Amino acid sequence: MELIPVIGLEMHAEMKSNTKVFSPAKNSYNDISNLNVNKIDMAFPGILPLLNKECIEKAIEMALILKCDIPEIFMFDRKNYYYPDLPKGYQITQFNKPIGTNGVLTIDVDGIEKNIDILDIHLEEDSASLDHYSYFSLIDYNRAGVPLLETVTSPCMHSSKEAVAFLDTMKYIFRYTGISDADIKRGQIRCDVNVSMMEKDSKELGTKVEVKNVNNINNVEKTIEYEIKRQTELILNGKKDEIVQETRRYDEATETTITMRSKIDAIDYKYFVEPNIPPYEITSDLINDIKSRISILPNEKKLKYINELGLNIIDANNLIKNKDVSEYFDNLINLGCDIKSSVNWVLNQISDYTNSNNISINELYLTPDKLKFIIDQTILDKISSKQAKELFNKSLELQKDPKILIKELGMEQINDIDTIKDIIVNILDSNLDQIKLYKNGKTNMFDYFVGQVMKETKGKANPVLVKEILSSELDNK
Amino acid sequence: MSKFTKELINDYADKLLIGLTKEETDTIFNEFEIIEANMDLINKIDGISDVEPQHYPFIIKSVPRNGDKIINENIEDILKNSGKVSDREIEVPKVVG
Amino acid sequence: MLEELHKKLISGEITSKELLEQSLKKSKEIQKEYNPYVTICEDTKETEVNDNILSGIPYVAKDNLSTKDILTTASSNTLNNYVPFFDATVISKLKDVGACLIGKSAMDELGMGATGTTSHTGIVKNPWDKTRITAGSSSGSACLVATGVVPYALGSDTGDSIRKPAAYCGIVGYKPTYGVISRFGLFPFASSLDHVGVLTRSVKDAAIVVDNVKGKDELDMTSIDLNVNLTKSLTGNITGKRLFYIENLIDLKNYKNPSNELTSIITEFKNTLNKLEELGANVTGINIDDNLLQALFPSYLCISCAEATSNDSNLTGIIFGPRGEGDNYVDMIKNHRTKGFSSLIKRRFVIGSYVLQKENQEKYFLNAKRVRRLITEKMNNLFKEYDVMIMPASGKIAPKIENSNDVISGNEQVLENLMVIGNFGGYPSITIPNGFVENMPIGINITGNILDDANILNISYALEQSMNYKYQIAKEVE
Repeated sequence: MELIPVIGLEMHAEMKSNTKVFSPAKNSYNDISNLNVNKIDMAFPGILPLLNKECIEKAIEMALILKCDIPEIFMFDRKNYYYPDLPKGYQITQFNKPIGTNGVLTIDVDGIEKNIDILDIHLEEDSASLDHYSYFSLIDYNRAGVPLLETVTSPCMHSSKEAVAFLDTMKYIFRYTGISDADIKRGQIRCDVNVSMMEKDSKELGTKVEVKNVNNINNVEKTIEYEIKRQTELILNGKKDEIVQETRRYDEATETTITMRSKIDAIDYKYFVEPNIPPYEITSDLINDIKSRISILPNEKKLKYINELGLNIIDANNLIKNKDVSEYFDNLINLGCDIKSSVNWVLNQISDYTNSNNISINELYLTPDKLKFIIDQTILDKISSKQAKELFNKSLELQKDPKILIKELGMEQINDIDTIKDIIVNILDSNLDQIKLYKNGKTNMFDYFVGQVMKETKGKANPVLVKEILSSELDNK
Repeated sequence: MSKFTKELINDYADKLLIGLTKEETDTIFNEFEIIEANMDLINKIDGISDVEPQHYPFIIKSVPRNGDKIINENIEDILKNSGKVSDREIEVPKVVG
Repeated sequence: MLEELHKKLISGEITSKELLEQSLKKSKEIQKEYNPYVTICEDTKETEVNDNILSGIPYVAKDNLSTKDILTTASSNTLNNYVPFFDATVISKLKDVGACLIGKSAMDELGMGATGTTSHTGIVKNPWDKTRITAGSSSGSACLVATGVVPYALGSDTGDSIRKPAAYCGIVGYKPTYGVISRFGLFPFASSLDHVGVLTRSVKDAAIVVDNVKGKDELDMTSIDLNVNLTKSLTGNITGKRLFYIENLIDLKNYKNPSNELTSIITEFKNTLNKLEELGANVTGINIDDNLLQALFPSYLCISCAEATSNDSNLTGIIFGPRGEGDNYVDMIKNHRTKGFSSLIKRRFVIGSYVLQKENQEKYFLNAKRVRRLITEKMNNLFKEYDVMIMPASGKIAPKIENSNDVISGNEQVLENLMVIGNFGGYPSITIPNGFVENMPIGINITGNILDDANILNISYALEQSMNYKYQIAKEVE
């Protein structure tokens, strides 16, 4: 009997925003407890939820990225249950009209593309956090009301590898778009994992087991592996009946899953429409506005670099690794910089500089328009590549505009034909032996003469002109 | 016949974290038949299931808050009504599971 | 009344301090007799008199409105020690104009209850007859206005919680269109039905108060602007106004054994309709499907109890309220709630929980919301043809305290709970005195289309002018 694992995920990601989703308290992690708290987060009598526009727009952005259907209006619902970390006694979430449904995300599993079906994506609020001590627990409301984006996949994955690839891709998108920092260490990514085993060629799904609140991607992987092993062994040992529809939790210490509650004890959350938040109308204008602001996703951008700009895969991959870097590059291209030079500058000099100085590309003194000047000078052969590097370094060191610096460093080229010709004639006259060698076939002497000219002019002579004039003068000898 | 039992009443109360005295359970049990009969009047309207439920009094336009303005409360204010506070946090008996 | 007081304050005939002292003195007397207060703010200071008509004048707020540094309990033992650190929007607006809060009035616990007998501080008695109820839940507010302790009091109205006590106490009770007064700081009963409103002894006073507290509030997403000066729209001219009443509920033939009270109330009602005709209005009887009318109260029960179970889930004794006892959080919360809620509340919660259960939602909760749509659609259509609906505020006079829990059915039930229509559709709705039956005051209710508050106020203003109950103060009958 061959068994196939069937896996579905509910991924919760804490969103990045200035304030919380239903209150104006600051949305930011803090070690000092109860610092970022508004009365709304603690459910003092008489408070009402105040929906945050930034969170709605970011949620719509994610729904669009996942190619979801977006409803014309969306509403919120209450999920009712009692727990000390839930001050209102209900969580505001989306049950009936989520922000997106029926989407898809293409992921790469060992070089093979796979489409993950997204059932829905919805916006909700996080709970407070509990710190447990020997005899009591303490409640910190900093996290209460932090926006959460929950993405629910269909049970369409068949290995922990696929699940991890999905989560990694999502994490990448969250960070790339700034919708979430997806900081694993701070518990910003949490998953509910559904696992069942299906007999090959059977259409019937096995009994589904849900493992709740698995708090990082590694643990999701371990959870899935453990559940596959546990369920497979039970089935193979003829104990299929022992797999029951239940909720389990992952135990980090033993790397196993443990029963929390069976289906009979399943909580009835008594969902109903949140009456304090009127339905929110999502106009096509709003969608178009958000669409126009959506950063192109890494994969799409990569294809654009390869197909439209003619970059090779390695360079394209390197550019999309970091959103800021690729945006810097895009700006150079939009300003009309030479593509090949732009790639080189961004991936070499800039990358070296930002790495060794430990700064982000956005902090670089040489903004794309300033770098454009340097690139243009080399393209027009007004300065040599060596000079360009010197100009780049000096400009960063002195925080000075290269346009000004180029004059101060005396890098402006000599383009006057007569001046160059005079210098060449002088040099040739004092190097008769070398001319002889050249004439006798030692053609590399040509470079020697160029070098002499450059030495004489401190590198300022236009190399193109130097070569032209030198070659005709040598012919005349 | 009412499918309502005293066990069910106590179960509902229990899920709301409310305990009922025997008298309270009896009162609810006794009045529930009337309440249920009363509530069934809702279902006597022809074609009721085809109507879209109305969640709000009328259509109100949702104008979300611009999320930039931050308002955090003072720690003294948010803790002063709690029966048990430890430093900056509210204390409860140890929460397990 | 408010206008006259303001004139006196401006001219110096009386000072804010004197007004305050009078009110506080009377408060104590009335408290002894009728028990309308949770808190009398004895330390309150007089406020400065300015151009605003409400400045320097005392008022009372229902104890479910959050008041900074003043105990606010919603008359529940679950909140019997709760001192908020913020004001409800309606309270801060009155503070801003210089109004003077002198106390917090008792109410049916958490707003749930229609009798005024379920406050944790005891029964509020009717100032016209101590053996009778005031109705609720704004019982204390109604009592304090009816006894002349204050010219106005704030209340809240989820089913008829302002308008019914106003009727039983012989005063004006007005709830504006849903959201016109912000609900921020109102301890909720059922959010989609809750309104903040006012109790006064004249229509004009009601308009004046609401003019000062209305408006879109950034702390309440469901709040809306009402861009009309209500006070200025009181012309008293109602020529050509079209009113309707529900004929099938006024026809005594449709009642099996109509009580004398009901018969007299309907007679008074018809007299008033004639008066309206004399004032130039057109009054028409229309019929509404009996099944729909019968379904209104059960639907109200479903929706309000369901929302209430959820709204009151924050009452756990963890962040505020007296801490419950218990070794674990479940026992601790349960202890707090079991001790804190009265039996009535527990019953309502069980109903709310029942109708919200997954297996019952469709049949009860959602069907109730469907009834809500049917009645509001019906009313919206009627408001295309008519300006307002007019009906008796109740088919009874204030019942005796011991009879206040009578279960009623049939058309009596419908008439008794008809004002929930105003909450289902968020319609502006006002009750004004309409005379006496068996020496107890009765009321008449006028309900209009959303944001058409000026119309209901002006019609009731005209009616009030033609009757003698303006500014009346309760005189206890022996």
